[in-house]
Amino acid sequence: MGPLIQQGIINPEWNSIIAFVIGISFGFILEQAGFSTARKIVGVFYGYDMTVLRVFLTAVVTASIGLLYFNYLGWIDLDLIYINPTFIWSAIVGGVLVGLGMIVGGYCPGTSFAAAAIGKIDGIVFIGGLFIGVFFYGETYNWLFKDLHEAGNLGAITMYNLLGISSGALEFFFILFAILLFWMTIVITKKFSNKLLKY
Amino acid sequence: MEKLQEPKKYMNPYLAGFLLGLTMIAAFYFSGRGLGASGAIKSSVTAIVSAVAPEHANNSEFYSSYKGEGSSPLNSWLVFEMIGFIFGALISGYIGGRIKKDIVKPPKVKVNTRMIMALIGGIVAGIGATLGRGCTSGAGLTGMSNLSVAGFISFMAMFGGAFMFSFFLRKYWINR
Amino acid sequence: MEARNTIRKRYYFVTGILFLLALGLLLLPHRKNVKELSPEDLLVSISTSDRFYSPENVARLIISGDPSIQLIDVRTAEEFAAYSLPKAINIPLANILDKDKKGNYVWQDVLNQDIKTNIIYSNGTVYANQAWMLISRMNFKNNYVLKGGLNAFFENIIKAKAPLASAPQSEIDLYSFRKAVAMYFGGGGSISTATTDAKSGDGTPVVKKKKEAKSGGGC
Repeated sequence: MGPLIQQGIINPEWNSIIAFVIGISFGFILEQAGFSTARKIVGVFYGYDMTVLRVFLTAVVTASIGLLYFNYLGWIDLDLIYINPTFIWSAIVGGVLVGLGMIVGGYCPGTSFAAAAIGKIDGIVFIGGLFIGVFFYGETYNWLFKDLHEAGNLGAITMYNLLGISSGALEFFFILFAILLFWMTIVITKKFSNKLLKY
Repeated sequence: MEKLQEPKKYMNPYLAGFLLGLTMIAAFYFSGRGLGASGAIKSSVTAIVSAVAPEHANNSEFYSSYKGEGSSPLNSWLVFEMIGFIFGALISGYIGGRIKKDIVKPPKVKVNTRMIMALIGGIVAGIGATLGRGCTSGAGLTGMSNLSVAGFISFMAMFGGAFMFSFFLRKYWINR
Repeated sequence: MEARNTIRKRYYFVTGILFLLALGLLLLPHRKNVKELSPEDLLVSISTSDRFYSPENVARLIISGDPSIQLIDVRTAEEFAAYSLPKAINIPLANILDKDKKGNYVWQDVLNQDIKTNIIYSNGTVYANQAWMLISRMNFKNNYVLKGGLNAFFENIIKAKAPLASAPQSEIDLYSFRKAVAMYFGGGGSISTATTDAKSGDGTPVVKKKKEAKSGGGC
């Protein structure tokens, strides 16, 4: 059956409308969860508010379990969905830069839009920074970033391909790891909430 | 100044995460792709550059890779998704009574400092998201949902990097 | 304290559910998706004649011992036993979509591959075309059809008629090539080649290729 657009079950013209509706849901949830304030996002790294990590991990666990069960039931063809290609060095360096930007600016690209939407000026400024950053990257791509951008291409591989185990087995260990993290967030919050590290 | 008490309580994080996961599944089920945010910025920047200096955009390897064939770079899935995203956040903010011109900052930090920090953070995150082929949502959330190696690496690099640098910025965010 | 205990109980409950779901995934087998070609794409590939290999080309490839081609004989096992092209693999049309106990196609390893070019043939073109259509629908790659089938192969090559002396040089060259091929196949113009037991080459009898163990556990 799915993905419906790729399988030609839904006319591709509907794709942008679907994107819009899914975007509404995405934005609504992030704002509802409190991602529209830098306080929550920074909170993860100082141990006083684990919301971001909890939401993030729950979403990943839900989606990955769902996708695997959907695939098993034949509702979705996992071979047709988009798997991000792995470029190992650019993923690491880029990821660290996003992390740095997140702790300096207090947002990540998605959450800054949620913040801007409800009138947070710093969110709007952050988005301005994003545009400048991408523009800078585009202008200097050929002589500064190109080699790094293309280095270490492993193709569109998944964790279970890499480790040579079945997708179910990988998901099993991943969920165990996630459960461990969930309980850890509870412990961490308890420990740090006494230390008055909040602002 | 941040208000002390929030107008309405936020959603339970696990419930929010669960719903976000369902949204992700819906995105995969309908369109065969995950959520993302930074892709829309890349498309927008490409659109702006192509409008201002079309030749420059065509000559650049970077911009031409984000240009759709024939159509405008803005005619992309992620752009429509992000337009919806802003609407969704607006609706949620309206329901929660949180729409308000406001600046989130640590109490003792000056407004200008916060603005400069936000701008620098944005620039760095923008470069990082383009280099790393996606931001927290595009590379991390989506990448981990379909169990791609890229997602796990990005997630660890992002959160690890932020955690690493948080040590140097503790005086900025937490002033006791 | 009371409320806190309820919350904690809820967390235990959710943790338990997560664990059960994870266990389920561990025990369920990974489902393999077979991608089928959409009718539109199939129509496009049918209406182009790219799928045909001319008898001359096939003969040239056979003689040169090109290791990149693989001949697939879709006639019945009896016909195959009576005569077949050298090194052909027999997959009767009726059995082409056979599945093993696990639900995988038995012939998938032969038919769906990137390394070799499969050339399908039968007596005429019709059965080979049908076989080609079936496996194209499965989105298997690198499959072609011998144009005119074995009949054309013999008509054109083994029993090639000598052109008139006034014929252009190209036609004479073609004839001498065909003659050479006929010599290779040991036919030399004898009419009965197609039906006698005179097997040429080493037409292997039905040997099912064992399914190789897949490296890695992915899809």
